[in-house]
Amino acid sequence: MFFRMLRQSFFRGWRRKALATATIVLSASLITALMNISIDVGDKMSREMKSYGANINVVPKSEAIPLEIGGVDYNPLKDRAFINEADLPRIKEIFWHNNIVGFAPFLKTGVVISGKEKKRINLIGTWFDRQVPISGDDEYRTGIKLVSPYWQVRGEWPNEQGAQNGMPGEVLAGALLARELNLKAGDQITVRTGDKAPREENFVVKGILTTGGAEEKALVASLATVQRLAGLAGKVQSVSVSALTVPEDRLSRKARHSSDSLDSAEYDRWYCTAYVSSVSLQIEEAIPNVTSRPIWQVAAGEGAVVNKIQLLMIVVTIAAFIASGLGISSLTVTTIMERAREIGLMKALGAADWEVYLLFLSESAVVGVVGGLLGCVAGAGLSQIIGLSIFGSTVSFSPIVIPVNIAVSVLIALSGSLMPSRLITKLYPAEVLHGRR
Amino acid sequence: MAKKIVLETKGLTKRFGSVTPLDSINMQVREGEWVAIMGPSGSGKTTMLNLLSCLDAPSAGEYILDGVATATLTEKQRVAVRREKIGLIFQQFHLVPYLTALENVMLAQYYHSMIDSKDAEQALAHVGLGHRTGHLPSQLSGGEQQRVCIARALINQPAIILADEPTGNLDEANEEVVLDLFKGLHREGRTIILVTHNPELAEFSDRVVRLQHGRVVHDESAH
Ligand SMILES: Nc1ncnc2c1ncn2[C@@H]1O[C@H](COP(=O)(O)OP(=O)(O)OP(=O)(O)O)[C@@H](O)[C@H]1O
Ligand SMILES: [Mg+2]
Repeated sequence: MFFRMLRQSFFRGWRRKALATATIVLSASLITALMNISIDVGDKMSREMKSYGANINVVPKSEAIPLEIGGVDYNPLKDRAFINEADLPRIKEIFWHNNIVGFAPFLKTGVVISGKEKKRINLIGTWFDRQVPISGDDEYRTGIKLVSPYWQVRGEWPNEQGAQNGMPGEVLAGALLARELNLKAGDQITVRTGDKAPREENFVVKGILTTGGAEEKALVASLATVQRLAGLAGKVQSVSVSALTVPEDRLSRKARHSSDSLDSAEYDRWYCTAYVSSVSLQIEEAIPNVTSRPIWQVAAGEGAVVNKIQLLMIVVTIAAFIASGLGISSLTVTTIMERAREIGLMKALGAADWEVYLLFLSESAVVGVVGGLLGCVAGAGLSQIIGLSIFGSTVSFSPIVIPVNIAVSVLIALSGSLMPSRLITKLYPAEVLHGRR
Repeated sequence: MAKKIVLETKGLTKRFGSVTPLDSINMQVREGEWVAIMGPSGSGKTTMLNLLSCLDAPSAGEYILDGVATATLTEKQRVAVRREKIGLIFQQFHLVPYLTALENVMLAQYYHSMIDSKDAEQALAHVGLGHRTGHLPSQLSGGEQQRVCIARALINQPAIILADEPTGNLDEANEEVVLDLFKGLHREGRTIILVTHNPELAEFSDRVVRLQHGRVVHDESAH
């Protein structure tokens, strides 16, 4: 009979429930959207923050202290340690390979441009955007465009292979260098290496490069080109890695201090968490004779921003919770007033207070479940809209949101109607049943 | 042989602050008796019925219903007395709007003991609504709604039936139908206390109690 009453109350009085359900749907969709986004935001934000550059730098272990004067490298290349280009795909094969967004190798050599022999400049070789064979992913592409999305080219990017078919090789001219030497896209230049056995090669400037960094004073060409000019086939000097990492916490700070200070359980936990430090270590383990260093400013900044955004989301969620609880509360008061006679009648027929409570709270719970479900659907849509308008990409829907949201909705509905339900106790059938019409 | 006393009050009094709508009522009602309570508006009829139906507790005096002294019971215990011993009929019918006629009758069964739809259908048939069991209150006329209430009041075999102006909201034709039902109940030997303004309704009762300013001013057999 109880369920019959509950059912009939809904089927025949759904209009009365509609407003309460709508309240729950509103808050539930907001909570769904925020939860969805805050689960995804760490990832989304980290990717977003990747536009500020790589967060791990990999160099040869025995890297000599670079002899740089005015930003130009005077170290003779032949004495130095290198990383083998062939080892690089291993970066994408570590335990946290899914967190490796991209990486780009660098090889620098000092050159002069014919006609401007007084000025010695760097020629930087890197990958722009090329396919890298990774076990398990044939389509993987990486390069400087991915690692440093803030690199801007006026004109075109050079090709990846360097000179071919008798055509001159292609380079980018840094913006400052271009201004100083009056270079424009389309200009032909001749570049000479400054070694004892100099080599000379013609290039066409494909574009002018703006980075906000030292590259603006240099020429940038494909890695293959620089390797050939420097006579260092298959070698690179450093690799910038862009990895998705979790914010630093107590454990990672302890590990940063010294990884020996961790006990074995702590070490396992640290190693199996995508901290920038543990990802770094794994890269060191994957490639022989390299040192892998987190770029701390970038890593720490990312974590802090993500934490703050998530905190903000939690605050908004709690506000939505309270607001809809209050909404339900006032709706319940209205309902109890409207249904005073019904309540009085039940009591007159011998219903105990708790039996009336049970009916009303059950109705609220059903409103919570229905509202929560509808809210999940609406919230999934809402989070896509938010995702598209803020991050320019869809937000993945986490299934965990559904049970959590329904539980929260029921909780809102119940807690909202719990207080007003006390009115039921105060309702005397003698007063409501003999009302004059 | 005198029938057993179902209901007895001794000095039953109700006060609301300085107002005393009911002042020292002494009354006995025997099994199978049909008592009409009459009096001008504000004389305390409804107040009295509320006390007799255990919807309200008296300020003073005693009230023994079917052998149970109820004056000093707690609200919880009064709920139990209502459930077990009393059938209530109101001027405004008071049916649950989203339950059918049948379900409204079953509601009384549910709070009393357990539901039995066969029994509830029979009770509705008894008041001439055997064909309307699936209708909602809004689909029934006032007279039909009141008949559902009567069926509901009877369903648990109460010791006493209390009605407050049951025909107050009805037209003459429906009043007639309801009056006939009360006559039938009386013939079956039910104990009935009925508050009414209508002398016609009182005419068929065994006894008329007149109230004025909360006191019994007249109590005698109608015939
Ligand atoms: N809860 C209350 N608080 C204060 N006064 C009350 C209360 N209930 C009833 N009274 C007063 O008690 C008196 C009797 O009221 P009651 O409702 O019993 O009259 P009645 O005989 O049923 O009148 P009617 O024929 O109009 O229904 C009235 O003066 C009324 O104002
Ligand atoms: Mg009255």
